[in-house]
Amino acid sequence: MTDILIMVLSTLGAIFILIASIGIVRMPDFYTRLSITIKAATLGIGCILAAAAIHFSEFSTTTKVIAIIFFLFITSPVAAFLIARTAYITGIKLWDKSIVDELQDRYDNNNNIPNNRCKEE
Amino acid sequence: MLKYFLLNLLLTFVWVALTGQLNYSNFLFGYLAGFFILWMLTRHSNLKEKQYFYRVPKALVFTMYFFYDMMEANLRVAKDVITPNYNTTPGIIKYPLDAKTDFEITMLTNIIALTPGTMVMDIADDKSYLYIHTMYLRNKQKFIRNLKDRTETKLLELLR
Amino acid sequence: MTVDDYLFYVIMPIISLSLIFIFIRFLKGPSVADRVVALDLLITVGVGVIGLFSLIADSALFLDVAIILALIAFLGTVAFSFYLEKRNRDD
Repeated sequence: MTDILIMVLSTLGAIFILIASIGIVRMPDFYTRLSITIKAATLGIGCILAAAAIHFSEFSTTTKVIAIIFFLFITSPVAAFLIARTAYITGIKLWDKSIVDELQDRYDNNNNIPNNRCKEE
Repeated sequence: MLKYFLLNLLLTFVWVALTGQLNYSNFLFGYLAGFFILWMLTRHSNLKEKQYFYRVPKALVFTMYFFYDMMEANLRVAKDVITPNYNTTPGIIKYPLDAKTDFEITMLTNIIALTPGTMVMDIADDKSYLYIHTMYLRNKQKFIRNLKDRTETKLLELLR
Repeated sequence: MTVDDYLFYVIMPIISLSLIFIFIRFLKGPSVADRVVALDLLITVGVGVIGLFSLIADSALFLDVAIILALIAFLGTVAFSFYLEKRNRDD
């Protein structure tokens, strides 16, 4: 029973990590790459570490695994937010096919994206 | 609210120390037993005192709902990554915040950032707007309403 | 086929392949921010590799290394973004 659970969890984790890595290679611009990769990889690593916790099933190991997962889930949004903001300030452009950019008037970047292509209902 | 939580933790530790088994299942059982005992003890007090006992199941439901949402968004993004064409329509939009304190804004930002496809870019200086980068933007009003109904309202009624 | 064989011959190659993909982006990345994100992801996947290896080797001691590595990845990303913003402001 635990063997099957370990196999399922590690397979799920490996698939999520593979998706994240394919995404980081073939997505068109920096922001879409960032918004795909960090979360999928975090979820995949959570799955793999949960498989490790099930395999050992000791109190100390489970505590360690919960600490790592909690830490990853707290820090990865903060890191993504910081690096996205820095990238926007340093002037990395959005993808050409982006619809709307409402952050444009806060910082004076020339992203050349018209501000009204989105349906306003 | 905080008083009952601390009492519940104390009961949990008493239970674990009495039984002497240091397991997570034992911790969980002790917590549930303490919860039940405290609930029975305060069943005659007023509604404000009993808030804690409604909030714990609600937090549990919210966590489940959040993981379900995260899985769904992950599968959508995965489909987009594997199939050869890009059918994303990214954009940055301004999102009016209902959350007021720093803690509420931090929790909301973490939840938005952990669902794949959306990402927080910046916060306005007076904390009244979030700038959100999203990958599937069809209709601006609909996106804002969706996010407000599905995430922010539930989070705020949990935290307040 | 035992669990160890499955982990060693199926899961580990998939993760190694994804490490190679991330490394391609690390070499190619047009801007510094791309490289920082790729580095962060590389270390995060490294934490996963350590967890998997501790499963295969059946020793829980490796998870301590994983904790430290997760910490360092976060610190590295924060320091790099702070430095990039500072450099942009100075010139």
